[in-house]
Amino acid sequence: MDYSKFVGAVLENDKDIIAKQVKVITAVLIKFLRVRLNVSQQDAEDCAQNTLLIAIEKIRGDKLENPDVIISYLFTTAKHEYFKGLAKDKESKFDELPDSHFQKPDQLHRLLNEEKMNILQRCIEALKPDFKNYIQYWFNNAANETSVIADHFGISVNNAWTKKHRVINLLKECYQKKIKL
Amino acid sequence: MENTREQKIRKQIDAYVKGKLSEEGIQSLWNEFAKNPELLDLLEVEAGTKALLSESKVKKATVHPLSGWTWHIAAAAVVLIVAMVQLFRVNTPTDMDEFLVTNIEPGQIETADGIRADDLKISEADSLLNLGFKAVISGNGERALELFDIVINNYDEEPYGSKAFLNKGIVLYNEGKYPDSINSFRESANRAEHSRMISEKAYWYLGNALINVGELEVAREAVYEAYRLDGVFRTAAFRLLQKLNYDLGKYDYDNFDIQQLN
Repeated sequence: MDYSKFVGAVLENDKDIIAKQVKVITAVLIKFLRVRLNVSQQDAEDCAQNTLLIAIEKIRGDKLENPDVIISYLFTTAKHEYFKGLAKDKESKFDELPDSHFQKPDQLHRLLNEEKMNILQRCIEALKPDFKNYIQYWFNNAANETSVIADHFGISVNNAWTKKHRVINLLKECYQKKIKL
Repeated sequence: MENTREQKIRKQIDAYVKGKLSEEGIQSLWNEFAKNPELLDLLEVEAGTKALLSESKVKKATVHPLSGWTWHIAAAAVVLIVAMVQLFRVNTPTDMDEFLVTNIEPGQIETADGIRADDLKISEADSLLNLGFKAVISGNGERALELFDIVINNYDEEPYGSKAFLNKGIVLYNEGKYPDSINSFRESANRAEHSRMISEKAYWYLGNALINVGELEVAREAVYEAYRLDGVFRTAAFRLLQKLNYDLGKYDYDNFDIQQLN
């Protein structure tokens, strides 16, 4: 994702490029909001859309240019938009108790819906027994250091990482093939 | 993407999925996702795989469909069994030991950070922690305690202090020296404000050690802290809290999220 290209497209009002880039950035922002702030899909879509409108205005006003600054601005604005909506919502429901008083951990499972999980499950089942056992051990012993896992399988730490990456690559390949069907 | 950079990001994704990445590391990873959105596919696959394997959804047992009348007979049998169980029911309270950690596995020992944003250098204190870990897995608890004490006495800064005290507590706990382990876990918990993971471990094992010496009220507070930190011990802490509440005669604390402990 080339953010300087995005800035150029906004300044030149190149609608085709803007539309393409906005689609990519929106997808990232939606996932960010859903995972990091536990936002519903609908609210995440609204916040992402508002965020991009605000960012585009800011770029047009020559106030955003540096790609790193843009990324940081997008995430901060997305969070701000969500909390703004939340605050508005709470004003109208002031008699309700807050549902949480501490930060919840990231909701990574929200990246995949049931259909995607089923596809991934089929891919895991299709793995060779050796790879399946390995990845199962890897995640079932998530609290352990890689050295402990490497020791269990009698391989070096580097090879332990390489094997793990290989299994994940196989799963990713299978998952992407099946999701396109 | 160059190879070492890709490997570094993959390790960060792994740490993120396992809940081992610092807040700073998480945000830096999301910045990478913004630059390379295709990396989110990797995150999806890793997070999904971990969730599926943790739930053991993979490889379900084969199901043989039964005919209609078999279900009627099975239902009748269940009703009969339930009635008999009710009739001959004997009150058998669960034992506290069932909820306690008997032996803390070496994987819980804190070592040098594998990933911490861009800072990959290993300090002397990190090396001592790693040597301590090696001593633990070699069964040399005495040497491990010596090494953790060196860290405590010479590197009174974070994250080394909280890690060394936690590790010392783990070794002492496994040797059955619960009062000494309690002191170590307390020290670790007091120092671990910077790390939710260390803090959670310290409170969880502190609670377990306190139960072992019969300090149930204080243990309840420690276990509640572990539960509240909402990490890997949350479910175990929830079960232990319920057992503690039951044994202490506190029956009004089913919903820990919305009620205060005392």
